Amino acid sequence: MVNALTCLLKKKVTEDNPVRDEDVEAIGREIKAAINAVFGRSLAIRELDTGSDNATEIEINNLNNPYYDVERFGITFVASPRHADILLVTGAVTHNMAIAAKKTYDAMPSPKFVIAVGDDACTGGIFAGTYAVLGGADRIFPVDLKIPGNPPTPTQILTGLLALMHKARKE
Amino acid sequence: MDIGIRAAQEFLGKDLLRDRISAGSNNEHYVRIEEQEFESAVSHLAANKFVLISLFCCEGFTANTVQTLFYVFERRTSILILVRGVNGCATSIADIYPSASWFERECRDGFGVEFEGAFDTRRLFLHETYSEGFHPLKKAFKNVPVITKETINPADEYPFREVKGEGVYQVPVGPVHAGIIEPGHFRFSVIGETIFNLEVRMFYKHRGIEKLAEGKSPQECVRIAEAVSGDESVANVTAFCMTIEQISQIPVPERAWYLRTILLELERICSHIGDQAGMLVDVAFPLGANQFSVLREECFRENDRLTGSRFLRDMICIGGMNRDIPKRSIDELALFVKQLRKRYRTGLKIVLSTASVIDRFATTGVIRPALLRPLNITGPSARASGGKVDVRLNHPYGIYNQFRPKLQRLRDGDVLSRFTIKASEVMDSLDLIERLIAAMPEGNVSNDVPIRDGYTLSMVESARGQNLCWVWIKDGVIERYKVRTASFGNWLAIEHAVQGNIIPDFPVINKSMNLSYAGTDL
Repeated sequence: MVNALTCLLKKKVTEDNPVRDEDVEAIGREIKAAINAVFGRSLAIRELDTGSDNATEIEINNLNNPYYDVERFGITFVASPRHADILLVTGAVTHNMAIAAKKTYDAMPSPKFVIAVGDDACTGGIFAGTYAVLGGADRIFPVDLKIPGNPPTPTQILTGLLALMHKARKE
Repeated sequence: MDIGIRAAQEFLGKDLLRDRISAGSNNEHYVRIEEQEFESAVSHLAANKFVLISLFCCEGFTANTVQTLFYVFERRTSILILVRGVNGCATSIADIYPSASWFERECRDGFGVEFEGAFDTRRLFLHETYSEGFHPLKKAFKNVPVITKETINPADEYPFREVKGEGVYQVPVGPVHAGIIEPGHFRFSVIGETIFNLEVRMFYKHRGIEKLAEGKSPQECVRIAEAVSGDESVANVTAFCMTIEQISQIPVPERAWYLRTILLELERICSHIGDQAGMLVDVAFPLGANQFSVLREECFRENDRLTGSRFLRDMICIGGMNRDIPKRSIDELALFVKQLRKRYRTGLKIVLSTASVIDRFATTGVIRPALLRPLNITGPSARASGGKVDVRLNHPYGIYNQFRPKLQRLRDGDVLSRFTIKASEVMDSLDLIERLIAAMPEGNVSNDVPIRDGYTLSMVESARGQNLCWVWIKDGVIERYKVRTASFGNWLAIEHAVQGNIIPDFPVINKSMNLSYAGTDL
């Protein structure tokens, strides 16, 4: 009770962002400019795991931590494919996920882009040619960009996003 | 006397046991069991509080039967494995050991073994897209691409348990979830907002890890063990390397074990801090969450400085370590640990003095202690419910005999307990790393590896709990690689933990248990 009251009455806890990574800031500024030019100021991303080892998910999640905080640059991760401009695909496409993965892609409005993130999503990786997977993401839908890595770092993923912005601008 | 051997003596008799028992190289005991003795043996073990920690199948192990089933039982420090030869058909033990249900369904999918009397005979890791009669782990099947169905008839769809009644409705969630998370399907039966029943359907990410390993050299298989579950790479690779080292009697240099143990504990810290950040996001407390997500990012960066990989990959190899970590990096790590501890404490203080957080955490998602044994729940989730399970203490490996962690236990089994247990374990791991750095011996970090044939079991305490690995080497290559991560058992716990809770609390309960989809689906 006393604890609850103190919490109610005491000053609100807040603090400045103590972390800043200059490499990220530089890429971020470029991405922001590109998003402003190509996507009307905001880029909606839907992440789709078709059979990763979860390390790639962790790195994509890390894009939202205060070191990267990509929302500042106009990037949002959305809950529904219906709101998404980009599908970030991780992992080799397993047979068990193939149908759901195709449905997710079909639910996205056009124009839409697909990025394969990580070695497994790019080519099927160590699972290519085995019974349980179809292969890389390009086996079930067109892929616009591949970001290799096991897994790629958050900065590499951001650099990949920037490359896609440039590609989209040309198109 | 080993309690496993004593139990086997009780159900088989001393004379019979002498011919049937053999010791594995990792302190486990194998007992061959005949069909007519099987049921009484299992009942005896159940009555003596043995936990079924794994059940797996193998082809060509025994001369006179097609398949061999290995029932792995654990009680405290002893491991007893019942070896049962079968020809495509066996009796189910799922009514005695509920955890056997998933294991039996796994054996059926993989090898086509039918379990008589099983209460659940649905397929497990082969979804309806695969045709009936396909059993990929049979030796006759060579690992090549297969054709699967592109559409599923509604009549062939997976039958979920349906809860019927006035006001009960079903909420299907997944496999593609709303966040950045792995795929799985949750079928909630709810009344209003309250969860009445949850059925979890996994294995969307089934990548055929076990089959992939077959025929590969042990060295090639290290990369496969790493891919079992990204955030427990170190634990799974260590477990795998330990089996090969035991089979081939390769001595691992002391310094290598110090380095391995540091990596194992760093992985645990990373994972626990990440969970805590996630739990705070799920109760809408970003200020607290960011304390932890900043620290976790810094852990990843420290991992990268130390090993060149944010996930500590490509360091551990059979016989030791791929490369040494220079003294300068170790010194930096010591400084990092010191400042991490201080800032971690600050984060904890903010969180634990916030009433809205405690209100959401306390009494939410309770795992009852009675469930621990039947479902083989391990790791922080078990210790938060009073379980005395920690592989580092029960089956010490490497140098954990000299560096014993404290057994952290709480009793309530709710989200708050799991949050607090993880906090204590982070602190312990930080202490442990400091002790390891202080006592670090000099010397080489790897030994030559002449591979011998044989089989053995190993266990490692990953961040999520007890990870088990069984390897059989034949003609110098992997004949069978069986992995069972902690999540395989812990997933079943969530079906019970959410009952009576509301759907909006599901994410935080899920995060507090930190279940790996990849590590379960294989």
